[in-house]
Amino acid sequence: MTLSKNFSIRTAVLFFTILFCFSSAAAQNDAGTDAVGDPRIGGPEQLKIAVFPVFNLSGSPAPLAAISRLLAEELTDADATFIAGEDLDRVIEKYRIRYLGGLDGSTAQSVRQETGADGVLITSLELYDETTPPKIALTARLVSTTDSMEILWIDGIGLAGDDAPGLLALGLVRDPRKLTGRAVQHLALSLTNFLSGEGRRIDSRAPREKFSPEILYHRAVLAADKTQTVAVVPFFNPSARSFAGEILALHFIRELWAHENFRVIEPGVVRQQLLKSRIIMDSGISLAQADLIAHYLHVDFILNGKVIDYQDYRGDRGTAKVNFSAELFDSVSREVVWSVKSYHAGDEGIFFFDWGRVNTAHALAADMVQLAVKMIE
Amino acid sequence: MMAKWAHRTHFIVCILSLILFFLVACASPYRASENYHDPDVDFALLRTIAVMPFSNLTNDKLAGERVRNTFMNSLLSTGALYVIPAGEVARGISRAGIDNPWTPSGEEVSKLAAIVGADSVITGVVNEYGEVRSGAVTSNVISVSMQMIEKESRKVIWSASTTKGGISVWDRLFGGGGEPMEDVTQAAVDDIIKKLFY
Repeated sequence: MTLSKNFSIRTAVLFFTILFCFSSAAAQNDAGTDAVGDPRIGGPEQLKIAVFPVFNLSGSPAPLAAISRLLAEELTDADATFIAGEDLDRVIEKYRIRYLGGLDGSTAQSVRQETGADGVLITSLELYDETTPPKIALTARLVSTTDSMEILWIDGIGLAGDDAPGLLALGLVRDPRKLTGRAVQHLALSLTNFLSGEGRRIDSRAPREKFSPEILYHRAVLAADKTQTVAVVPFFNPSARSFAGEILALHFIRELWAHENFRVIEPGVVRQQLLKSRIIMDSGISLAQADLIAHYLHVDFILNGKVIDYQDYRGDRGTAKVNFSAELFDSVSREVVWSVKSYHAGDEGIFFFDWGRVNTAHALAADMVQLAVKMIE
Repeated sequence: MMAKWAHRTHFIVCILSLILFFLVACASPYRASENYHDPDVDFALLRTIAVMPFSNLTNDKLAGERVRNTFMNSLLSTGALYVIPAGEVARGISRAGIDNPWTPSGEEVSKLAAIVGADSVITGVVNEYGEVRSGAVTSNVISVSMQMIEKESRKVIWSASTTKGGISVWDRLFGGGGEPMEDVTQAAVDDIIKKLFY
């Protein structure tokens, strides 16, 4: 009896061992197939990524070095080799790279030559406020250093310490470092998932419909079976917030990139072209300027707009407000084919205990832009 | 019996007179129309419009820009007219050498329209924009007027004005600060576009 029991346990253990070996082998095969199918993600050879220092669009002093360091630490689990710190500083100094908020052709080439990086991780700090409750907003994107300079991945996050205060304010975050850690962790996780092939094209949740655009003009612009190229030009910014034009352009880049029918030109390339062509926008882009951009960048559409308000608030009293308009120029017909106007406040439709309130302009704009871009179809 | 009947009739007449008196007092004074359409112009022929920067008579530096932006987008969204983008209008103003784009002359309008390819040009004035206060009650108010100048004849072919917002009875009774400024602006713009088309 004991002998037969021992025998059956031994058989079961052997069976499970064989099964485990087979399933592991199958999983490895799957990973290998993914890597072959999409060379951008999780390949057999690890991607080399240069992590640019955090670029400050917040218009106020912020601990940029600490955020960069935190990001590098959080990315240790990612399926890639990261180049940062002194190795990268040397290249930045050698080639006198002054603009770290984007990647143009010559910068990409220098970084690739010197470090062998396949991509550059560009992180922009949109908001940093240490006043209780603290607030932070970050956008990061991974840009390939090849000639095409594709945007491979982009994500952003806006957090406030009182986003989820919970019962008796036990969930209130008062420490800005803790909040920064959460924001950086979110971006690092999103990038790690993307590199391992587990992440979706964009990790955005369903937007709140109450932030839909107010005014919309729309003509059928998208060919369903064709990928069309779009250049997003920094928005004209008469608002009181510094860099609001660049920030809103990043929101649009993120949402357009998520759209399967669009290929979005890296904003660093667009910026370089604007400088080369000596284009200075006076209350928006003119047709002649649009022609120049379309000619040099070979784009089907140019997205431009105006930011009237991009307002965050300090402390716990105030309301986040975003007010913008955007236009999509067709480079062939030289006409506006899509236009949108959207204005909202974070406390819209809030009645009880601030439940559902949006505390940062970043989170508000993300929903507004997502809903606006949805309407291009 | 007869005396009592006569007394009742007198009473009813007095009451009716009083009601009539109050009704007459409630009548508003004659007010000229806030809308003008040139009867000789076929507005259906106008296809492309340029909107000039609005003159801003308020304390809010951005009021003109805010109202113009909302107006341009709303007008374009009607689908009835093509509105030339603000950047192209700015280029036209620069090329036409218009020193004062808020109140251009007929000649300047004609020149600008030829450069940007517009059939007519709209100019506007923001008279009031922002918060009004009456005692402890506040609310938002906007007052805008616009006119359309035709390219060839250089004549004003349409003119309209509107005022929206302000302190309502509800605000006086319950407070609340009135509608948000952007909603008031949108209401004013919708009203003025309605006046353009009807």
